[in-house]
Amino acid sequence: MTSPTPDASPDIGLMRVPSQRIGRLMDLVAELSLSVAETVRSPDLDGLDLGHFDAAVHRLTMIMREVQDVATEMRLVPVDDVFRRLRRMVRELERQTGKSIEVKVIGGDTQIDKLVADRLYDPLLHVLRNAADHGLEGPEERRAAGKPATGVIRVSAAQAGSEVRITVADDGRGLDRGRILAKARQRGLIGPGEEPADGALWKVIFEPGFSTAENVSNLSGRGVGMDVLQTTMAALRGRITVDSSAGQGTSVGLHIPVSLAFLDCVVLRQGDKLFAVPIEVVAEIARPAPGDMIRLSAAGGDELFRLRGRNIPVRRLEEFYAGGCRGAGAGAGVIVVCQSGEGLIAVPVDEVLDRQQVVMKPLLGRLAQVRASFGCALLGSGEVALVLDCERLAPGGSAR
Amino acid sequence: MTQQDVSTDLLSAPEGEAETISDMYLTFVLSDEEYGVGIALVTEIVGMQRIMPIPDMPRYVRGVINLRGKVIPLMDVRLRFGMPERAYDDRTVIIVMELDDAPVGLIVDGVREVLEIPPSQIDRAGQFGRVTQRPVIAGVGRVGERVAVLLDPAVLVSDAEIGIPAAEMLPPEPVPAPVAMPGAEAGA
Repeated sequence: MTSPTPDASPDIGLMRVPSQRIGRLMDLVAELSLSVAETVRSPDLDGLDLGHFDAAVHRLTMIMREVQDVATEMRLVPVDDVFRRLRRMVRELERQTGKSIEVKVIGGDTQIDKLVADRLYDPLLHVLRNAADHGLEGPEERRAAGKPATGVIRVSAAQAGSEVRITVADDGRGLDRGRILAKARQRGLIGPGEEPADGALWKVIFEPGFSTAENVSNLSGRGVGMDVLQTTMAALRGRITVDSSAGQGTSVGLHIPVSLAFLDCVVLRQGDKLFAVPIEVVAEIARPAPGDMIRLSAAGGDELFRLRGRNIPVRRLEEFYAGGCRGAGAGAGVIVVCQSGEGLIAVPVDEVLDRQQVVMKPLLGRLAQVRASFGCALLGSGEVALVLDCERLAPGGSAR
Repeated sequence: MTQQDVSTDLLSAPEGEAETISDMYLTFVLSDEEYGVGIALVTEIVGMQRIMPIPDMPRYVRGVINLRGKVIPLMDVRLRFGMPERAYDDRTVIIVMELDDAPVGLIVDGVREVLEIPPSQIDRAGQFGRVTQRPVIAGVGRVGERVAVLLDPAVLVSDAEIGIPAAEMLPPEPVPAPVAMPGAEAGA
């Protein structure tokens, strides 16, 4: 274990604590903050003159916030714990591929939730294997291309806002557009006449079972690894990005929230149900004027929302959840425009309630069957909202 | 003593009775029928609280509650058994259980008591309900003049179609001292 504060001397004051105990503490802190909110908002206080009380509440709220932050920090570990395990694999990869590989690690001290770190190794290993196996060329091919014989894979991490971005970039041959396109067409992922942009095309390599490697090697090429990556990233509320240029290499980015415990989000109400959307995916909140919503009977009744000349596909919660979320009625309402990998989507709701930091809870047991959700959010009011995953809510997204 | 007081006392059984806990059942009522679930899986009993509805759930899962920071889905056992819906009142309680590391709450008309029912007093199911799959009724326990239908919580909270009309589930009157079936103890 490494101390989260770099200035502390390395061998002083470190303690081993079972992660369940920290988990319990996190639960209690969440409980405490909800309890505080309930107390200070008690209807019994209505109409009372509470000068001193209000000052005390202010102090209490400040302390509460700090306790929450400290509890969150307790579970943060440097991402280098994972990177170190990856580095150990490099010799093995060299032996298996017959390539000379150098791994450079940048930003290993970036902090990340222990729960995330624990699940990050397998998907990252798959990305690293792919880079070693498919990305990097053999020594002769590299020399012929005027590159040093040793291929470089850069594994880096950096925090950007409430996200940690982990990038695995190789200096190999880059993705083969022709081959991926041919394979995608053969598998029916892309229509025969379509010419998708690079960014859209690269995404198909994450489709389950997709692999262009002609020889299935021990390392990769079975199309299984990328599937694992996809599943894990969905569970961690993460996003995957791919960038590639021919002859210069491929870079796979994993964008993951720093903490799985707390989430900054916008709270919405639709009918009798509450939903929450992570703040970073909310592009805009708009109130539709008459005529802004266009129904396309030719497309099975799909709707478009016109926003400053753009047509944004509409995803209604009551339709997605099969009538379970009927709203207050047409007309009155707000449109939340969300970012997804498929582009923007417009989600009409009855009301936008609040922006707040919520406590996240996973969907366990029965609740695991709720589609397009990361989990439940405990609101300051004690209510529970469902956190929407716009990737899976998007019309093109997999409706799981 | 109110119903809630009873329930709190019921669960605060002394420690160190591990050898009998598997024979202990918490009984509850639905209309005039008495049911029981093994106490080992029950974590607490709470009064009715504000339920927040959740999409993608069958009708008998009414929504979730936030119980001191835990999100617990609630199953209305009346609806699960196809019994008529009934407005919740101050006797309605939620039996919170922990099944496969996931909490679940059962909404019942009221809890009655904790009973020790040894395997010898349990008639194993088989002829109750449909036998095509694992039945929701684990057995029928005899307690003096009364009977309690012992449920298999795993089947109860699953998606499995139990499809038993309420009338078939239990005779309205206590059955006269049933004859122990062959192999009644086998499953104990």
